[in-house]
Amino acid sequence: MPDAVTGRTIVDSCGSSCPGPITDLALAYRRAKVGDVIELWATDPGVKADVQAWAAKTRNEVESIEDQPGKIVTVIRILRR
Amino acid sequence: MALTMELRSNGEAGRTATGKISIIMFSGTADKFIPLGVITQAATAMGMEVNVFVTGFALQGFVKQPRELPFPVEFTSMAPALMQGMKAAHVQPWDAMLRQAKELGAKVYACSMMADVMGLKTGDFGDLVDDVVGAATFLQAAEGGQTLFI
Repeated sequence: MPDAVTGRTIVDSCGSSCPGPITDLALAYRRAKVGDVIELWATDPGVKADVQAWAAKTRNEVESIEDQPGKIVTVIRILRR
Repeated sequence: MALTMELRSNGEAGRTATGKISIIMFSGTADKFIPLGVITQAATAMGMEVNVFVTGFALQGFVKQPRELPFPVEFTSMAPALMQGMKAAHVQPWDAMLRQAKELGAKVYACSMMADVMGLKTGDFGDLVDDVVGAATFLQAAEGGQTLFI
């Protein structure tokens, strides 16, 4: 569910190893609408390359990938369903 | 590399919105089932069509209440540490990964000929198996995509 304040859907995959985060992203994508923003939290370092591959494949957009304390935060904008 | 990935991530190069991967799952050892789970789950997460054709020794992993799958003899000494490492890294068991892939659309077919050779009937397979089919059915399903032999 999108957050009421930010409008973003937070997907917390911290502690989950590959291909867990990308699967959690795919499950959120199934429920998303065009224009939605998904914020994926993960600890698996493979997520940085994988979200870009996922976005290229599904033709959505990676807005940012950021190392934050204890997690990698990726922001994905949904352009297509 | 970074630039290429950046360009790709905006979707311009993503002409193939879907794609298809088909896996011939032949091996019956525990190590080979890990990539089966990882690739099927990752591919379905990418929106790809996934077909798995289970044949040979791998059929033993798909029966109702399967016995614990063995590791290849040359790796048995490494197996305990590997399993411990997988648990520590929260890696899901292969069947949980394949089940997730199936929820995202993956299909699993058992080879009718090898099932017959091993004395396995359709009812002997667990719920991961969608159907028992022949090679022609799999080849037709795999046509036009990538195929892996594990």
